[in-house]
Amino acid sequence: MATPGFAGKILLVDLTKKEIIPLDTDEYAMYGGGHGTSTALFWEYCVARENWDLQDAFDPRNMVSLMTGAIVGTGVPHGARTSVSGMSPQCYPVQWFCHSNFGGTFGTMLKLAGWDGVAVIGKADKPVYINIADDKVTLEDAQNLWGLTTWKCQEEIWKRSGIRYGQEWVNLDGSYTMQRPAIVTMGPAGENMTRVAALVHGGGSGAGQGGFGGVFGSKNLKAVAVMGSSSLKIADPKGLQNALEWMEKTWGGGGGGFGFGGGQDVQSCCAGCGTARKCHNRTRAHGQDSDDCAESTLFSQTPSNGQIPSDANARGMDLCQEYGINGMECCFQGPMSFKTDHNPDFPIQPEVPAYTALGWYMKKMYDMGVIGPGTSYDMAPLNMKQFNTNEFMEIYALALSKRHGIGDMLAEGTARFCEKLGRTEDFKTLCRLTMWGYQDHWSMPGVEWAYGNLMDSRDINSHDITHSPGGGFGGGGAAPDAEKFVRTMAQRTAPFNDPFWFDYSWEGKQAYDTGIFSRHKAQFTAWHQHYWNYYKESVGFCDWGYSNLYSGSHPQNFGKTPEVEPRLLNAVTGKNHTFEDGIEIGRRAWNLKRAIFVLQGRHRKMENFTGYYYRPGASYCGYSPNLPIFDGSKWEIKNSKELYFTEDGVEHWKTHFYDIEGWNQDSGYPTRKTLEDLGMKHVADYLESKGKLGAA
Amino acid sequence: MAGDKKTMPEKADKKKFSRRDFVVGGGTALAGGALAAVSPGAAQAAIKQDSYPLATHYLVYDSKHCAGCYRCMTACSLVHEGEINFSLARLQMHRAVLDEYPFDISINVCRQCPTPLCVENCPTGAAHISAENGNIRMIDKDKCIGCKTCIKSCPFIPYRPIWNHYTNKATKCDLCVDTPYYNKKGGPGGSQACVEACVANALKVVTELPDQTDISGYDRDLQPPRKAMPKMPFGAPKGKSKAAPAAKES
Repeated sequence: MATPGFAGKILLVDLTKKEIIPLDTDEYAMYGGGHGTSTALFWEYCVARENWDLQDAFDPRNMVSLMTGAIVGTGVPHGARTSVSGMSPQCYPVQWFCHSNFGGTFGTMLKLAGWDGVAVIGKADKPVYINIADDKVTLEDAQNLWGLTTWKCQEEIWKRSGIRYGQEWVNLDGSYTMQRPAIVTMGPAGENMTRVAALVHGGGSGAGQGGFGGVFGSKNLKAVAVMGSSSLKIADPKGLQNALEWMEKTWGGGGGGFGFGGGQDVQSCCAGCGTARKCHNRTRAHGQDSDDCAESTLFSQTPSNGQIPSDANARGMDLCQEYGINGMECCFQGPMSFKTDHNPDFPIQPEVPAYTALGWYMKKMYDMGVIGPGTSYDMAPLNMKQFNTNEFMEIYALALSKRHGIGDMLAEGTARFCEKLGRTEDFKTLCRLTMWGYQDHWSMPGVEWAYGNLMDSRDINSHDITHSPGGGFGGGGAAPDAEKFVRTMAQRTAPFNDPFWFDYSWEGKQAYDTGIFSRHKAQFTAWHQHYWNYYKESVGFCDWGYSNLYSGSHPQNFGKTPEVEPRLLNAVTGKNHTFEDGIEIGRRAWNLKRAIFVLQGRHRKMENFTGYYYRPGASYCGYSPNLPIFDGSKWEIKNSKELYFTEDGVEHWKTHFYDIEGWNQDSGYPTRKTLEDLGMKHVADYLESKGKLGAA
Repeated sequence: MAGDKKTMPEKADKKKFSRRDFVVGGGTALAGGALAAVSPGAAQAAIKQDSYPLATHYLVYDSKHCAGCYRCMTACSLVHEGEINFSLARLQMHRAVLDEYPFDISINVCRQCPTPLCVENCPTGAAHISAENGNIRMIDKDKCIGCKTCIKSCPFIPYRPIWNHYTNKATKCDLCVDTPYYNKKGGPGGSQACVEACVANALKVVTELPDQTDISGYDRDLQPPRKAMPKMPFGAPKGKSKAAPAAKES
């Protein structure tokens, strides 16, 4: 019998062999579900069973997993995420094992069909989609879906059935459902194996980062469709209701969270969420899309620094959803004008928008004469005279997703586009690439985000600390008393409760003693990654709700963390896990991922930021520049827009970080003791056989 | 495709009334009268209408402000069954996520019909009117034999009773009377899990019989009164020198 909160089975599909294999979810329980379980599956099926170099994400041996966690489908707000894992074609220069996730109803429907996740290996000999109706799983012909946009593909799958969804009950072998299948699909960008291809579900719930749409394309896998009529067991139904009421009474509707708040639209939500965050809306005036996720809502509704007219920007984002393009990577500029709002005195490049993306960089190269007329790079099929128009957006999306003309270069993503132009120096200036080919995204001056980028394999996209809902470091009404503020935050970060985790001193000796290069910050970063690997990417909590250390809704300004997570989880699963138990599960999954990184070539020598972080101005677009600073005797909230790293400081931090993680300080490889303490002797043995085990 | 298109196999060969039927009909006749025009069974039931006491409480909804989050359905199956299963939720929200607003969301609830054909036609008395619970139309699971007559009798499309494929019996919305897993007292005068769970103020229990003529009796605007919009938010119209009066909030 499955653990309550879990469906109990994972669907493994081998497209090459056309095999459909159910796996027991509980066999992977020690990894926590979601991304943790996907990491364990990748290890088992792609690392331990295959002898390959783990370098090409488009290799059929790569596994792409869609995996849920315990909280998904339970009606818990901020709990609808489906994690996507696998080797990423977008990561640069190595196509690291990576992750993304998306909301909507897919994860919930998957669990109600009796499956905790879907893991796909191999390559079909012709286009297929995976169709799941409770226990019945089939590979369906997708040849006439190939070429369709993500929206058309979903509509076609719905239409094929001949069912009038919502107006009649559908018979699933004796059980009935009124719901239509939840579908996640890739568009032409995925079919053509671009490195910037997203997976899209519904109107705009998308897994963008990582390029997993391209992995689907490499497998001839167009979509996964699921509908279910099964029951999801809840260990303590009344306890879950009590916990939800307590949370909502204490922290407000849905438990509070990062989001847009007000607005003019009728909101819609991911399944079970209902947090009034305006992450989605039903009434977008443009296009067909009534279900844009936050990302595209943000991009398309925000004035665009005057560069792109808002309607063209909006059309561009709709096109991203339709063609299955990662909008964050390929858009023309950032979501907000931080230069104006937060950092009017930005000293380096005031002309660079807050979020430099591929479209903006391409235009910049054109304006600089690097590409276009007179160069060896023809702009066709783009007509730059049409720039700023809907027509231009249409051609841009089409060229990129179908690799037409210059679109073939763009489809490689910003980092590889730079490389092809021979301009990798732009990583640290115009491109503002932080690590592994991903652009800066508010990762500074909240350095734990930047450090997370360095140690993981992508922009970790973790808004939770420096954007702490209801507070943040100076944004949104932080406590004026800096010391009280950091002590409040420290109380919420069990089991360490160290106020110096929140010291952002970045100059002089203090930076090394208690600030951004200190052991305190290394410990915080490790905790943050362990938290992230379990509670967010494995359990299924949304980044916009968790972690939550500081809240203006609570009388003592306590955030939901660390009380809410275990209380909700225990009500669902019937276990008696502490918050720290979850952190330990996250540490296990994180170390297993580390072992995969090491086998892919990760070494301490590689873990250096691009030059972007090592120069003044690195923090100019940070969402909240006001940070707690400890000067050796007292705390103060200071504007830290000038904050940047030094190479020596980062090396100092890395030594602490590897030591805390139990990794060899010279190589960054996990040691046998670390892995065995986490119950992963088999991983230690394998690393040793490959000469990649860290010396004690 | 995921499921075979199939209506209930023993579905009675009767004209069923959906909201479209009423809307298309466009008539102002009472539902009972409309049914009588085409449905012999319904006509028979309509004649007996006086013999059925009206329910004291009705679940109404606001599909235009629904967030489509499924919390109502999740809560419904949780408090009744102790587990989460959309197929066992006694109200059904359906979201056509790519359709345009407001046609993207439809909600189907039991209407607690004045003339409950499920009660009328139940051969065992399982479907009954519960006098001690505000005359709510309920199904006694101990008496239900799983014959699906209530489902076949429901005049609405999609039908509103729910088929529980685990117990092979029918259930229906009881306004949370029989909720062994609810942390509150349910039923008329008590709480309803779906209403409590809704974050969009899109569900409400009312005590007056909703208009039976068309769908608007149940699908209605449930939002609190909006603040008055400023009359001229962008200043006075061109050509007028006098500023517009300040807006008043309601």
